[in-house]
Amino acid sequence: MSSLAVRFEGEQRKTFRRLLVVSGVAHVALALALVSMPTLAPRTVLPGVVTVDLVGLPGLPAPPAPEPAPAPAPEPPKAAPEPKPVPEPKPEPNPPPPVQKKTVLPEESRQLPKPKPKPVAKPKPPAPSKPREEAPAYEDVLASLRKEKGEARPTPEARPAAAPEAGTGGARAGVPVSPRVAAWLRSARNHVRGVWVLAPGFRTQPLETHVELHLDAAGNVLGEPRVTRRSGNPWYDESVVRAVQKASPLPRPPEAGRWPFVFRPEDY
Amino acid sequence: MLRLVRALALLLVAGTARAEDRPAVIVTDPGGEAYRAAVQRFGAVGEGRALAERVRGEIVKGLEWSSLFQELSPKAFLGPVETLALDSGPAVACPDWRQSGADALVEGEIRQGAAEIEIEFRAWDIARCRKLLRKRYRGDPGDARRMSRSIADDVVEAFTGQRGVFGTEIAFVSTRAGAAEIFVMNADGTDLRPATRNRSLNAFPSWSPKGDAIVYMSYRYRRQPHLFRLVRGPGEPGLLLPRLNSGRAQYRGVYAPDGGRLAVVLSVDGAPEIFTVGEDGGNLRRLTRHRAIDVSPTWSPDGRRIAFVSDRAGAPHVYVMDADGGNVRRLTFDGSYNAAPAWSPDGRWVAYQTRVGGQFDIWLIDPEGSVNAPLVTHPRSDESPSWSPDGRKLVFQTVRRGRSDLYVIDVTGHNLRRLTDERGADKSPAWGPYPR
Repeated sequence: MSSLAVRFEGEQRKTFRRLLVVSGVAHVALALALVSMPTLAPRTVLPGVVTVDLVGLPGLPAPPAPEPAPAPAPEPPKAAPEPKPVPEPKPEPNPPPPVQKKTVLPEESRQLPKPKPKPVAKPKPPAPSKPREEAPAYEDVLASLRKEKGEARPTPEARPAAAPEAGTGGARAGVPVSPRVAAWLRSARNHVRGVWVLAPGFRTQPLETHVELHLDAAGNVLGEPRVTRRSGNPWYDESVVRAVQKASPLPRPPEAGRWPFVFRPEDY
Repeated sequence: MLRLVRALALLLVAGTARAEDRPAVIVTDPGGEAYRAAVQRFGAVGEGRALAERVRGEIVKGLEWSSLFQELSPKAFLGPVETLALDSGPAVACPDWRQSGADALVEGEIRQGAAEIEIEFRAWDIARCRKLLRKRYRGDPGDARRMSRSIADDVVEAFTGQRGVFGTEIAFVSTRAGAAEIFVMNADGTDLRPATRNRSLNAFPSWSPKGDAIVYMSYRYRRQPHLFRLVRGPGEPGLLLPRLNSGRAQYRGVYAPDGGRLAVVLSVDGAPEIFTVGEDGGNLRRLTRHRAIDVSPTWSPDGRRIAFVSDRAGAPHVYVMDADGGNVRRLTFDGSYNAAPAWSPDGRWVAYQTRVGGQFDIWLIDPEGSVNAPLVTHPRSDESPSWSPDGRKLVFQTVRRGRSDLYVIDVTGHNLRRLTDERGADKSPAWGPYPR
């Protein structure tokens, strides 16, 4: 079991390392583009024009040239040699078209209905047993307040791994949360997640980005969001910044000022 | 009472809080459907104007095909519908576009000469008012469509970090011209054309990692199944394994991700077995040694493992082994007939077909066998999945409308689309790599 997990981790690390490389290259490329570009409008990132000469590409979309029809049609498909075992046990009409597996297959009757592991219609990305994380729910917060076991418990921050980084602006362990704040945290989360677009390929990766938003009393985002912790994947960070900018105005915050946001894809 | 005091205290604390003292809003599970893209009609003069509308249409199609963009109708534009000449005014008016609801803006120009056209475009991230990409394509006037498709893929990549697959191709077997021949089409089903015309029987197309060749099985030579390689450009397809004794039936060849060798299925004493062989046909190594049928190899993206189908347990199931034939492990246990495995480009999944009742559905299982879930289910058979190079989509064959057709679906289970049009049976799709 643990070796399975380790292997799984390994896969992730590999993907992640690859992404790091990609991101590194992208950064270098961007840096080069920035350095080499003439100064135009002050804040505009203007990558140099890349000219792609399609004429020069060797027959890119041209299909493989169809092979000429041989003079003697070698083989009427019907007569395809067939004394051999069905080469591919796929329900694919193999060389000899007459064999339509589906009808040939016997024992249809003793087919047990497939035990569906889960009745989900979609394959959810892996990491099956990871507990799903949620921002602290209102009820949870209330409950923890009610408990009053000695000192105030930290907000139910589901993710111990994030704790060491929390000081950089993320979820702050040890901050007690009033019901009003908890309600806002929840509505702000729902509001932002509704406009956050992420390519499916990134959804299953252990990415985490922290941003700080300066909100006025009405929930408008003032100025640029400040990224306080990057995920290591620039595309992911971009999607987050895009989302918070598009989310403006947010639900009215309990008070104006700077608020930290933590973004994680669904499974981590 | 105590609680009230406590709450007040909290509020006081919050009143003086800095960001790092405040609780974070934790956002998970992105729920935004797609970016909204405003695509302008590119600025053009003369004959270019008619072309501009077509280019726009093609870009929109490509963006929407990625499932990550939705077109913002030009009727909703607060900004100009057509890209204005560069010197005629200020740059992009982001507030207007934002108000129109656009997340992305694609603008550009077309210059049409006698023998050459040039399309330049710019992609804007409207939320941040930043130009993400600026690029210029130049080519034959007949290439306008290809350029437009590339532009769409470029924009998808600029926004998401993952290149679109609109510009890729799918090879498949079709009887639309009579005999079972290999055909190639664009990934959205357009521009369909024949790759073989030998009027024999051809099957199991598979791409080289560079996309410059297709390996397939054909009965065109000595009326025996042989593997052929068809290379782009002029030239005849040749035998893949010219030095191999042709008394041995050759059923399927699949390139390793590094392109240097292939996994091939050859018959040994009547039973198909899996081998690896160098691209030049040398260095043949046998991987499976079992009297059972061992077929349908598919490589893990790192080239270290191979999934395949064997009926050694009595019924066809998917197995995994190392690329040297060691460590054979059974992967599927459910169902009575599992076949056609396809390892995803990101390595996370093996798609395969499984019989449910009297027909096949397509399921995904992870290579360790811990997650197994349906992707495509239908009362009629869905078979032969093949992954897009970005791992976001699969193409498969289905008889849900009668004759076998090819469909694509997102790995999320959304956006099912039909690619082919019931002219003959279309089967055995193989999604090609990114063009290079």
